[in-house]
Amino acid sequence: MPREIITLQLGQCGNQIGMEFWKQLCAEHGISPEGILEDFATEGTDRKDVFFYQADDEHYIPRSVLIDLEPRVINSIMTSAYANLYNPENIYMSKDGGGAGNNWASGFTQGEGVYEEVFDIIDREADGSDSLEGFVVCHSIAGGTGSGMGSYILEKLNDRFPKKLIQTYSVFPNQDEISDVVVQPYNSLLTLKRLTQNADCVVVLDNTALHRIAAERLHIDTPTFAQINHLVSTVMATSTTTLRYPGYMNNDLIGLIASLIPTPRLHFLMTGYTPLTTDTQVASIRKTTVLDVMRRLLQPKNMMVSTPVHRQANHCYIAILNIIQGEVDPTQVHKSLQRIRERKLAQFIPWGPASIQVALSRKSPYVQTAHRVSGLMLANHTSISDLFERCVRQYDKLRKREAFLDQFKRTPIFKDNLDEFDDSREVLQQLIDEYHAATKSDYITWGTQQVLRRRIYIDVKDVLACGASWDEKLPE
Amino acid sequence: MKTMIQTLRDFKLIFQLIRSSKDAPGAEVYTDMLQKNMTPYITTQVSAHNAKRKIAESSPTPGEFLQKYEELKSKNVRDLDPLVHLLSKICEDAQVKNYLKTNAEERAAASGVTLTAPSAVLSLLPTPGTQMSHDELAKIKAQLMKVTSNTGAITPAGSLRKVINERLSAKNMNLPAQPDWIFSRPYLTMDFVHDAEPPDPDVVPVGSMPISAQEMVILEDLLYCMEGIEGRYIQALPLTDRYAQRDFRVDQTLDPSLREAVKRVLPLCSNYSTVIRFIEEKQAFEYGLVNHALSASMRNLIQGQLSLQKLWFYVQPTMSTMEILASVASAVNRACVPYFEILEKWMFKGIIVDPYCEYIRSYWEQHYTICRERVPIFLERVADKILNAGKYLNVVRQCGRDVHCPLAEEIVYTLTERKYFEHIENAYNYASKLLLDLLMEEKELLARLKSIKHYFLLDQGDFIVQFLDMAEEEMKKPMEEIIPTRLETLLELALRTSTANVDPYKDDLRVDLLSYDLVTQLFKILTIETKLEKEYRVDPADLHLSGLEAFSFDYMVKWPVSLVINRRALTRYQMLFRHLFYCKHVERQLCNVWISNKSAKMFTLYSTRWYASAFALRQRMLNFVQNFEYYMMFEVIEPSWHVFQTNMETVSNIDDVVAYHSDFLNNCLTDCMLTNPQLLKIVHKLMLICVTFSNFIQRLNETTNVDLEVKKLTRVASLGVAQTSKDHKDESMKKKATSKVVLEHVDQMASSENFERTINNFDSNFSHHLVDLLTKIMDFRGDHSEHKLMNIMYRLDFNNFYTAKLESASAENSGDAGLRDVSKHSSKLLSVAHMSVLGHVCTKTDWFADVEPTLNRLIGLFADVEPTLDRLIRLPTLDRFVDVGLLEKICRTNG
Repeated sequence: MPREIITLQLGQCGNQIGMEFWKQLCAEHGISPEGILEDFATEGTDRKDVFFYQADDEHYIPRSVLIDLEPRVINSIMTSAYANLYNPENIYMSKDGGGAGNNWASGFTQGEGVYEEVFDIIDREADGSDSLEGFVVCHSIAGGTGSGMGSYILEKLNDRFPKKLIQTYSVFPNQDEISDVVVQPYNSLLTLKRLTQNADCVVVLDNTALHRIAAERLHIDTPTFAQINHLVSTVMATSTTTLRYPGYMNNDLIGLIASLIPTPRLHFLMTGYTPLTTDTQVASIRKTTVLDVMRRLLQPKNMMVSTPVHRQANHCYIAILNIIQGEVDPTQVHKSLQRIRERKLAQFIPWGPASIQVALSRKSPYVQTAHRVSGLMLANHTSISDLFERCVRQYDKLRKREAFLDQFKRTPIFKDNLDEFDDSREVLQQLIDEYHAATKSDYITWGTQQVLRRRIYIDVKDVLACGASWDEKLPE
Repeated sequence: MKTMIQTLRDFKLIFQLIRSSKDAPGAEVYTDMLQKNMTPYITTQVSAHNAKRKIAESSPTPGEFLQKYEELKSKNVRDLDPLVHLLSKICEDAQVKNYLKTNAEERAAASGVTLTAPSAVLSLLPTPGTQMSHDELAKIKAQLMKVTSNTGAITPAGSLRKVINERLSAKNMNLPAQPDWIFSRPYLTMDFVHDAEPPDPDVVPVGSMPISAQEMVILEDLLYCMEGIEGRYIQALPLTDRYAQRDFRVDQTLDPSLREAVKRVLPLCSNYSTVIRFIEEKQAFEYGLVNHALSASMRNLIQGQLSLQKLWFYVQPTMSTMEILASVASAVNRACVPYFEILEKWMFKGIIVDPYCEYIRSYWEQHYTICRERVPIFLERVADKILNAGKYLNVVRQCGRDVHCPLAEEIVYTLTERKYFEHIENAYNYASKLLLDLLMEEKELLARLKSIKHYFLLDQGDFIVQFLDMAEEEMKKPMEEIIPTRLETLLELALRTSTANVDPYKDDLRVDLLSYDLVTQLFKILTIETKLEKEYRVDPADLHLSGLEAFSFDYMVKWPVSLVINRRALTRYQMLFRHLFYCKHVERQLCNVWISNKSAKMFTLYSTRWYASAFALRQRMLNFVQNFEYYMMFEVIEPSWHVFQTNMETVSNIDDVVAYHSDFLNNCLTDCMLTNPQLLKIVHKLMLICVTFSNFIQRLNETTNVDLEVKKLTRVASLGVAQTSKDHKDESMKKKATSKVVLEHVDQMASSENFERTINNFDSNFSHHLVDLLTKIMDFRGDHSEHKLMNIMYRLDFNNFYTAKLESASAENSGDAGLRDVSKHSSKLLSVAHMSVLGHVCTKTDWFADVEPTLNRLIGLFADVEPTLDRLIRLPTLDRFVDVGLLEKICRTNG
C-alpha cells in the first residue's frame, strides 16, 4: 500500500520533461529502459512502487499518463529505448493530430472534447492504486496543449479527486528571448488562474533561469532542450527522493508540501539545486559540507526561478525545505542552521514561525555522481510574484492593443465575451497582492481587511445600484 | 697423627661394640663403665705391666703379644698402655670377650673374610684411661641419645612425614614421591630444631654481664631466633601442636628493660616460626600451586638487620607483614587449593565449579557478580576481568559452542612479575573477542539494532506511514475495544508492503498495548522508590486510553542478543517510539486538515476571512510538530546513532557494546525530553491542542459539507453529456452559483462569533503553552549551557517569531493577558470604524456623480484610517474612545 502518485505528462514540453524524469528514475532504481529490474538492483531498500507498478511479468511500469494533441514528441518517445517502458494504454494522442496550435483556448476546448477518453485512463490508473496520494502534472504554461488542455484537466482533476493532491511541474516561458508564440502572455495568464485555483502545489521551472543557469553555471552558450530538461529532471527526481528513499521524515507528498504552503493560494515553489554540473564537467576538488550546500542554495544564482532582486519590496521566504543527499554528518545540520540564522542569510515572514527544514535523504546507489553532497531547495518565496507581475504586464500590453484575440474569440469560451481573461487577471492580481501582503506582519488579518474593503465596495455598489430611490429616502 | 687415627679406630671399635650389644646392657652401662675407668687412666707402669701380664696369660700366643708390645713400646706409641689396660680388662671380662668373639665370627662369616686374630686389632687399642675429653664424651652421649630416643619431642622432619603420610592416605592422590632424605634430615628445616642439647656449660648467666654486653648478646640471640636458630639465652620451647604459636624462654637474668624489648620482638620470631612451618608444609606437592606459589613468595619475604631499638624500628613493617602472613597461612590452609582451579576453569572455559559460591555468583549484570569481600587482594585489580572473561565464555557455551581457549595457561601466583595478570588479560581478551565475534558476526548485532531503529526510531518512515494509513482508524478506538490480533495483521501487512520487507528481522516485531500512556510511564519510572510512587500507581481503567496512546511496538530478542537488547533497552526504545509515534500521528492529523482546507484556494479572496486565523494557527502547529520531529530525528537520534556506530567500530568487548548502546539510548531519551516530565507534559499538552484543533476543523468541514456540495455540483456537471459552449457556460454558471451558496454558508459560519472565539481559544492556548515550553527550555539552558535542547529554540524560533512573545513572557506574565485584551478590542474597533465609515459613505455618495473615483477614494481613505487603527490598538483602553471620535473626524473631513 504505497502512497501512489500518478504522473500526467501534457503537451510537448510536459512529455519531454516527463520522459527525462522517468529516465532518471529508472537509472536511480536500477530499472532498465525495458522496465526490467537490473540484476544489481534486486536488493534495494528503495520504494519503486510510489511511481511504478509491477506488471504480471515483473515489468516495472510507470504510473504515468502521456497526453498530447500532436504525435511528434510521443512518437519520438515510442521510438526511443524507453518505448517499452510505458503502458501503451496510458498514451493518449489526438486522433486528428493537429495540436493546439499554441493556443490556450484551443487546448482547453480540445480538452473538453477528449475528456472521457483521458479520464478513462486516469480513472483506471487511480483505481489501480491502493491509496493514491495525488497527481503530478508536467506541462508548460506558454504553449497550447500543456497550458490549455492542462488547465482543463486541472479543473477536472480537482473536481473529481478533491482529496487528492495535485502537484504540477510547470515550465514558465523564457522572458529573455522573443517567443515564436505570440499569444504566450494570454496562455500564461489563463493557465496561471488554474494553477492558482486548481493545483495544490506548483513547482515553478522558469525557462529564463534554466537558460541562465546553463549559460552562467554550466557554461553552455546555446543549451539544448535535452540539457535543460536534464536540469528539470534532476529537480523533479530529487524533490521526490524522500518518497522513494524513505527516511525519518517527508515520506509522503503531503508531509513534504504541507509545511511549505501555509496558506492554500501561496503554493508556488521555487527550486534551487547545487552543485550544478554537466556530464562533461570535472568535479570540483573542494570538499562540500552541509553548510556549503545550504548556503549555496540560498544564493539567487542557483535558483531556477529568475526574479529581479529589489530590496524595497521586502520579499521573504515563507518556508524552505532542503533535501540534502549524500554522505552527510548529521551533526553538521544544526551548526549549518545556526550559522544561517546568525548571519541572517535568509529573510523570513514576520507573521508566523518559519524555518529551514532539512531532510537528509539517501541517494541512489546506482547513479554515480561526482559530488559527495548535493542539495535541492524547495522554497516558498514571495518574490515569485514578480513572475506573475511580469506575466500580467505582458498580458496588459497585448490586451491593450487587443492583439491576437481573434483566434481566442473563435473558441467557445471567448465566443461571447472576454470575461475569462478579466477573471483570470483578477485572480492573478489577487495572488500578487496576497504575496505582497505575505511580506508584512499583518498578513493574517489582511484577508479580513480585504473583506472589509470588499464589503464597503459591495455596499456602495448596492447603494449606487439603488440609485435614485435612495436619493429620496436619504436625508440631507 | 697415627695415634689419632688409632684413637679414632678405638672409638670405632667401641661404638661397634656398643651398637652391636644394643639389646643387652644399656648404653648407659658402657658409659658408666668408661667413666669409671677414667680415673685409673693415669696409671703407672705397674698397672700396664699387670695388664701386659694378664693378657699374656690369657693369650694363646703370649710370646707374640709380648713381642708386639715391646715393639710398640719401643716406638713410643701413645696410649699403648691404656689400650693394654683395656684389653686386659676385656680379657678379664669373659662376657665381653665372648661377645666380641661371636661378633667377630659373625661378621667374618658375613663378609667372607678370615678372621684375623683379635689380638692384632686389640693391640692397637689405646690403653684405656688415657685421654678422652669431656667434649668427646658429651658428643657421644648426645649421639647416643638421639639414636635411642624414638619417642618424645616432635621433630619437624618427623612430623612432616607423618602429616604427609596422613594426607596421602586421605587424598589418595597421584603425586610424585618425595625423596626420603627430606624427612630423614632434621636440620633441613629453617625452623627451630629441638635437639635437647644440654645447656652449654660455658654459658654465663647473662645477668652477670654489663648491660651493654647484655644487649649485644641478646641482640645476637634475637637475630638467631629470627632465623629459626635458638640463641644462648633465648630458647624455643617445643610445640604442643603443629600450628601452635611458638613460645620462647628468655634467660631470667636478663636486664628487665631489655627483656621487655625482647618480648616485643619475640612475636616476630614466633610468627617466623609459624610461617616457616607453613612454608615447609605447603611446599609439598599435594598442596597445589596456590600454596606453592604462596609459600615461595612468603619465603621471598623472609629476609633479615642493629641496636635493639633500631632493630625494633626495622622490624615494625616486617612484623605486620609476618603477622598477616601468619594469619594468611592459617586461614588459607583449608580454602586455597581449589581456588585457582576454579579460576582457571572459569577463565578459560567459562564454567563455574564453585558449588558453594565462594567466589563468583551466577547471571549477567545481576546474575554474575563478584563477592567483593571474598576476592583475594592480589586479584582485586583484575577481578572484573576475571568475571567478564568467564561471563563471556559462559554465554558462548550457552549458545551451544564449545570453548577452547588457545591461550589457556596455568595461572600461577607471583608477587613480583605479575605474570598471572598477563594470563588473565590474555584470557579476558580472548573471551571478549570470542563473544563479540559471536554477537557481531554470527548474530549480526548491528543489523539487528538497525532493524530496531527502523521500527522504533522510525528511520524508515514509509513503514510507519503505511502502518498508520491502515491502522489509524482502529487505533483511534478506546484501548479496550482494540483487537490486538487485528493490529498484528495490519502490522504484518505494513511490514510486507513497505521497505521493511527486505529486513530479515521484521518478523520479530510485535504489537504491544500498554496500560499506561507515555507520560504516566515516565512518571512511574521517575518516581520509582520515591514517596510519590503510590500516586502514580494509576488504575489503567481510569486513564481511558485510546489505542494511539496505548500502542507500542515490541521486539522479540533471543539469547544471546538479549544481552545487549535487553528489557531495559527495549523499554527505552518503546518510550522513544511512543513519543515519536504520537508526533507522527499529530503531524498526520494536521496534514489532513491541510488537505481538507486546500479547497479554500478556489474561493475568492473575500471568503478567506475565517480561514486566515485557522490557517495561521495550523501553520504554527505544523511548524512546531515538524520541527520537533526534525529536532529529535536529525539532531538527537541520528547524531547519537552516528556516535554509537563510530564507537562500535572500535569496540573490543560486549560490556562496552552494552555501555555504548545504553549511552545512545540515554542520550536520545534525555534530549527528546523523555527524562524531563515537566517539559514532556507541556509537549504533550501542545500535541493535544493540535489534535483537538484538527478534530474541530475536520468536524466543521463535515458539517458545512463544503466538499459534498462541490462534489454534487461536479457530478451534475459531468452528467451533462453535451460539451457545447452553452453547457460549459451553464456549468460555470451553476458552479458559480453553488460556490456562492457554499461561500455564504461559510461566511455565515465564519461570522458566527462562536467559530472565531474557538479558534482564538485554540490560538491563545497553543501560544501560551509554546511560550511556556520555550521559556522552560531557556531556563534549562541556565543549568546546562551546552544542552541540546537549545537546538529546539533555534528551530522553533528560527525567524524570531516567538522572540517578542518570549521576552514579554519573561518580562511579566500579565503582559500576555493584556495583549489578548488589546486584540479583542481591536476587532471591535474595526467594526465600529466600519460602521461609521459606511454611515458617512452612505450619506455622501449621492454627491458624487462618478462612482469609480468615489470608491477609489474610499479605499484610499481606508488606507489612511488603517494606521490610526493600528495606533488605537496600542493605546490604553481609556484613550481609545477619544480616538474613535478622532477617527470619525478624519472620515468626515476626508469624506
